Amino acid sequence: MSAQDPQPKKHTLEQAAASDEKIQQVHAILLREKPEPAEGYSPMPLFVLGFIAAVIFVVSVYFVHNRGGLGPNFSFREAALVYDERYDPATAPGAGAAKELTPEQIIAAGKKLYATCSTCHQANGAGLPGTYPPLANSEWVNGSDERLIRILLNGLSGEVTVAGNKYNGLMPAFGKVPGGGYNWTDERIAQVLTYIRQEWGNAADPITTARVTEIREQAGASRATPWTEAELLALP
Amino acid sequence: MASAPSLAASISPSTPPNTVARAELSEIDASTKVPAIFFLGSSLLWLLAGTLFALISSFKLHNPAFLGDAEWLTFGRVRTAHLNAVVYGWSVNASFAVALWLMARLARSIVRHSNMLMLAGVLWNVGVTIGITGILAGDSTSIEWLEMPTYATPILFVAYALVGGWAVITFRFGRSQHIYVSQWYIFAALFWFPWLYSIAQIMIIFAPARGTVQALVNWWFAHNVLGLWFTPIGLAAVYYFLPKVLGKPIHSYYLSVLGFWSLAIFYNWAGVHHLVGGPVPAWVITAGIAASFMMVIPVVVTAINHHLTLVGSFSALKYSPTLRFIVFGAVNYTLASLLGSLMADRNISEVVHFTHAIVGHSHHGLYAFFTMVMFGSIYYIMPRILHREWPSATLISVHFWTTAVGAVIMVVVLSVVGTKQGLAMNNAAIPFLSMEESDVVRATLDGLRVRSYSGILITIGHLAFAINFVWMLLRPRADHNTAPTLFRNPEPDLEVSSR
Amino acid sequence: MNRAPLIFLGVFFALAFSWTGIVLTNQIAYGSLEPVFDESEGKAFPESIPGVAAQGKLVYQDLGCMYCHTQQVRRPGFGGDIDRNWGERQSVARDYIRERRVLLGTMRTGPDLRNVGARFAGEGGREWHIRHLYDPEITSPGSIMPKYKFLFETRKIVGEPSPRAVQRLLPADAQPPEGYEIVLTDRGHALIEYLLSLKDVYTYPEEASRVYVEPQPEAKNGDNAANTNSEAQQ
Repeated sequence: MSAQDPQPKKHTLEQAAASDEKIQQVHAILLREKPEPAEGYSPMPLFVLGFIAAVIFVVSVYFVHNRGGLGPNFSFREAALVYDERYDPATAPGAGAAKELTPEQIIAAGKKLYATCSTCHQANGAGLPGTYPPLANSEWVNGSDERLIRILLNGLSGEVTVAGNKYNGLMPAFGKVPGGGYNWTDERIAQVLTYIRQEWGNAADPITTARVTEIREQAGASRATPWTEAELLALP
Repeated sequence: MASAPSLAASISPSTPPNTVARAELSEIDASTKVPAIFFLGSSLLWLLAGTLFALISSFKLHNPAFLGDAEWLTFGRVRTAHLNAVVYGWSVNASFAVALWLMARLARSIVRHSNMLMLAGVLWNVGVTIGITGILAGDSTSIEWLEMPTYATPILFVAYALVGGWAVITFRFGRSQHIYVSQWYIFAALFWFPWLYSIAQIMIIFAPARGTVQALVNWWFAHNVLGLWFTPIGLAAVYYFLPKVLGKPIHSYYLSVLGFWSLAIFYNWAGVHHLVGGPVPAWVITAGIAASFMMVIPVVVTAINHHLTLVGSFSALKYSPTLRFIVFGAVNYTLASLLGSLMADRNISEVVHFTHAIVGHSHHGLYAFFTMVMFGSIYYIMPRILHREWPSATLISVHFWTTAVGAVIMVVVLSVVGTKQGLAMNNAAIPFLSMEESDVVRATLDGLRVRSYSGILITIGHLAFAINFVWMLLRPRADHNTAPTLFRNPEPDLEVSSR
Repeated sequence: MNRAPLIFLGVFFALAFSWTGIVLTNQIAYGSLEPVFDESEGKAFPESIPGVAAQGKLVYQDLGCMYCHTQQVRRPGFGGDIDRNWGERQSVARDYIRERRVLLGTMRTGPDLRNVGARFAGEGGREWHIRHLYDPEITSPGSIMPKYKFLFETRKIVGEPSPRAVQRLLPADAQPPEGYEIVLTDRGHALIEYLLSLKDVYTYPEEASRVYVEPQPEAKNGDNAANTNSEAQQ
């Protein structure tokens, strides 16, 4: 647009630019600009093509080896429920059978289960002063196995004295008992108890699954509330 | 545009063609002025807000009591507000401004219907404001990158549709016969984003897919916001400003073509590597990892193309702010992408997945690459639409060094700390939290403190940028004897005219 | 590349490719998984989420818990998830089909919570969560989790003390003044119920048969034969 052809207010900037002097001003920044960018046409280096071919080859091999069973005999619908890229429907053997555990394996399994306990009793078994009682050097852990098994099966509430200090809290029920939130099997309870009886300087006997089952059937299975200190101290 | 008498036509016929071309550019620049300034101004405000949210959440990570009693400012909300402010506030506004300026120039089309753009801009910023307020008030959807509540997203969608419609009009009525590489990227990005956004909104929020299909859609979307929106816009800016400032053509058209199409094909599969080890089909994750590996192709091809364009002109980095930011961004695009391909590998993912290393990597891509490129673009665009020079070269220098050093520290520290965290977390013998022995949480604390310090450095840079920006808006127009605001005066034998 | 329609077609098909491959294919492949009814247990798994827990999930979402806690257990041997007792088994897609919003998460500033309801259960678990949310350092010294005191309310005792009063669980320095009590708000209560509900204890027979088992060395001959088979398929 030009000065002779005034247009609505929208284009005031261009209007202002129309006189020679103004053009100079408008273009002060523009005029020192380099030209608009253009494309050069240098040929593609050959090694780029080789590189691309190599990447495509390697990645294809990777995909085929990690395709999680996908293939002509194993459709998207079936492969959708495979979460392991190494899975191969031709060699998948199904679930492995359970085995008898060695004492070391029992301790290891107990230690893994103890992660749940460690949120209160801490990883070092020292508990939290005033809140959660210690397990290390605790007469409850190292003493009567029946009391200990009952605590784990049904829980413990009310005041309790451990290593000379009083605690007042609630230990939840871990066993397969009415009202229990965890429903751990007798085997798991035996594992974790064996672990805490032999860790942090504790040196009591291991606890067998059979013993846990025996006590659960005798006393635990019919009870829906936690034990109290007095009830347990009445036991041998 | 042939019918309208233009400034170019008003110049006497004896004027050299170059001057006529410049006059046309001047006219186009002027027509972008109002919407571009609006988008850039809003993006700056969001940048400052996003930086503030970032600092708060960063301090909370090693000092949880900091502002700890305010429900609005609890970590889970401030962190989310930070992400949304920098992604939808700063980055999208800045890319709208840069994309519209580049579109108008490259299509040689005067911006028409700028009312449409202004309406879009207002709606977008209202939508983002409502969305982030909603997040802070407790209406977050808790879907990563889609946290804005349902009462904000339709506004964003309408705003976006207006920008997309405007872009089609500009492209359609442009006078340029040639479609330059930057235009491919902008065009593709403008088309891809609404597709991603609408599918993700529908399949996750409005009519949720069952189970972990949602997670697949989520990461298909979230990674593609980076890959198919921010990356193309950033690359479009690099492809424009690199040859523009240097005054030479892009090295090879063939490499540009190859880089563009390989990015288009491979990037959009890569997102599912964020679900490695998760309850989604193994073959999809393998496909995502494979695509991440394939990303090496566009990245290397683009890097070669840019490097061969720049080679021989490194001295220009000494004085041109635009070039320095753009080249810093382009180098980090290459680094971040190659590292990303590496981190996608299952064995490396097993360690770094779920750790701060991933946070570091996002900042590498979105900050050290994209944001730095946007800064460089803004330093070039503003003088041309305002006809003013940047008031202070010192502030630009402060901006560059604080953000560049801050970004490098942040990325390095988070990567190291994340790796330590991941190695500790995968070793069940190391407790997650313990007062006595070394644990997973304490493996990260020192690094997180250093990250906060790098955040302070970056904040200083952003403040310098903001001061310079506002000062520029308020200062008088340049007279015709002005010189560009450069870091230093170029050597006399170099013909330099650009910033 | 000066033909806009061709660029458009290419750009369209590029995204259509991954949209089909990642989104559509999987929506068709497993987007309609159903719960599995177990005859011996007499109920369907995964179990439906109780109403209060569903409300608690909204609190979990609005507080942004998922930015520090994932809800997915990786398979044995891939990361330390199983060894840390974050779950008995790997999470599978079927575990999530009853959830309107799936919060897998991507960050473990804190531990995975997919089975937090198996680690803290019953009344003891509830009490642990109350202490932990009020101030994480009561139960977990050194924790960097923020306090969620705003999920509690200190109020004057009017008439009978509230059954929801929780100050007896808190340390001495957190006790309210005489005549006041600290109660858990409805949101806090719902959040804790949600956390207690988080556990995947049932093992789906079909899922268990699709795990990868390392080939045993002694079964080498059989393995080789199978490998040859699968290579022939490729």
